[in-house]
Amino acid sequence: MTTRRGFLAGLLAAGSAPAIGWADAGSPSYLAAAREADGAFALFGLDTGGNLTFRVPMPARGHAGAGHPARPLAVAFARRPGAFALVIDCADGLVRQRLTPPAGQSFNGHGSFSADGMRLYTVEQRDEDSAGVIGLWDMERELTRIGEVPSQGIGPHDLRLLPDGGLVVANGGIATGADGREKTNLGEMQPNLTYLDAEGRLQDQVILDPDLAQCSIRHLAVAPDGQVGFAMQWEGAPGTPVPLLGLHLRGEAPVLADPPLAEALAMRGYAGSIALSGDGRSYSISSPRGGRVQRFGRNGAFLGSVARADVCGLAAHPGGCLATDGLGGLLLLEGDRVRPLGSAPVAWDNHIVAL
Amino acid sequence: MRTALILAAGLFAAPAAAGVPEALDRHILPGFDRFVQETGALARTAEEDCTAGTVAPAYHAAFDSWMPLAEVKIGPSDTGALSVLFWPDDRGFTPKALNGLIADADPVVTQPEDYAEVSIAARGLMALDMLLFDPAYDSADPYTCQLVTAVAVDLARQAETLQAAWADEFAAALRSAGAAENATFLSPQEAMRALYTQVLSGLEFTADQRLGRPLGTFERPRPRRAEAWRSERSLRNVLLAADAAQSLAHALAETDLPLTDAAMVGVREAAAKVTDPGFQDIDDPQARLQVEVLAQEVRSLRTAIANEVGAPLGIAPGFNSSDGD
Repeated sequence: MTTRRGFLAGLLAAGSAPAIGWADAGSPSYLAAAREADGAFALFGLDTGGNLTFRVPMPARGHAGAGHPARPLAVAFARRPGAFALVIDCADGLVRQRLTPPAGQSFNGHGSFSADGMRLYTVEQRDEDSAGVIGLWDMERELTRIGEVPSQGIGPHDLRLLPDGGLVVANGGIATGADGREKTNLGEMQPNLTYLDAEGRLQDQVILDPDLAQCSIRHLAVAPDGQVGFAMQWEGAPGTPVPLLGLHLRGEAPVLADPPLAEALAMRGYAGSIALSGDGRSYSISSPRGGRVQRFGRNGAFLGSVARADVCGLAAHPGGCLATDGLGGLLLLEGDRVRPLGSAPVAWDNHIVAL
Repeated sequence: MRTALILAAGLFAAPAAAGVPEALDRHILPGFDRFVQETGALARTAEEDCTAGTVAPAYHAAFDSWMPLAEVKIGPSDTGALSVLFWPDDRGFTPKALNGLIADADPVVTQPEDYAEVSIAARGLMALDMLLFDPAYDSADPYTCQLVTAVAVDLARQAETLQAAWADEFAAALRSAGAAENATFLSPQEAMRALYTQVLSGLEFTADQRLGRPLGTFERPRPRRAEAWRSERSLRNVLLAADAAQSLAHALAETDLPLTDAAMVGVREAAAKVTDPGFQDIDDPQARLQVEVLAQEVRSLRTAIANEVGAPLGIAPGFNSSDGD
């Protein structure tokens, strides 16, 4: 991703007015939201060494974000049900724009820019029935909503860009009540993994076996060859060993990772984040409830795990996988080895966004 | 805003937080020594005479020695605890795994070191609970006898492995929390927090699972979902788990814990009124009520420890683990 960003930044710089690039924001490699010691919320930029490169205050708890591929702009999404997303200029820390979903809809925490940075996709749901919507925003001078398409499922959460320019959406299948978080349909969930083209037209859909209908497909990581890793959260009876990681390449059947029984149970039926390793050879999934990060090969084989209290955020790192936790820890996971990069007086939130 | 803020250095060497050495030296490490002794005695008993009547007392002593450690599910125990005590098991993995071994007369029982490779559902205390106390199994049968012995010997080996891993490595990681080379605990507070959260989550497990599972709903109680009901240990395990929480709370705290101690008295009084040690009579409304009261008392003990131990330390629930998204 860094290469693409560098390439586009070069293009912009050559073609038009002198562009402000990510270097002006301290060249962060990651974005992460956090709650600070005094209870305030903020969005941070991080470099690969774990140093903070910028800090921007947030009006409420954030969830994930999206970095523009060329300009030092980040869209920080509020925790769902999200009433806002902030477009932040990471070079000067100023909020450039505040995005709001259409009336009767909420942001669901994730979104992504297109590879050329000209479009933003936002994951949303209708408050009334939790029907999923992907908002389409055009990035001319600033972001303007130009339309929306169905996400093809209930309660979508994560969305990722595919190498071919299309999108993959995790439709979690969970409908929520009036407060936007109370789950109302756990007995009749139908999660799916949906592929859309760049215009939002349905291309493909994966639905798991009915006995996994209560496995909410929530978070995604995409490998360079288009293989999608999807992390799940079990809403059925506690203590049931269920797969929490699935792998899918279009045209093939999904593969469900099957760790040893004790490992499966140790995750407490919950994967909060997923990331591909820096070398692209393994996926990691985190469970803050089980205090654990598990690693699987690209074929779904279990490779190992590390224990860490309240761990959740994960992102690819040149040395393996970067992990953050609610105690402020910032850790480099090199296989099963843990190397602390630092500890900040903040509670890192669910996700790290790789730029 | 190009100022590169450096992450506040939390990586300083510091002595372990008060309470952590006490928890290790007074409760956890002696607990593992006792667990090794009792499971060793159990293995020797089974090797001499594998019939249920002979093995049962040693089984109970071994189970008693595990309960003070059962809810400390960190470090070597974070997955290791499951193969010692595989429960809950609503899907019946334990009988399935045992029946599979018996049906095949699987020779894995002849080599204790091989037995570590079988499903964790066929290992440990719950496998013995079933083999020794369920009428479907006959310990006089030669293969079942070998199986009982293999489970007992494997359990003793698990105990030795866990004891060594705690004494040699994990205790040191807890004691040196915050030291530069410590990648497990980045500050002394993290070690304290790790032990403290085990106390709270253990009591939650006791209230919601050990008591909540058999209680089910008033319309549909589930007595067969009680822990170790076959060996009639369900109530005893609740009491021992509550004892363990009280003991660890005292080790972690620097002050007296009058609320905690009073709550523990409440737990004992409620337990004394429970009529069936295996909770098998809870479809009777009066018997059910006593178990419900016991669950309430366990929750009160949890609240007391949170107030007396957690609150002064400023330990709040996990930012991410208590969330869901």
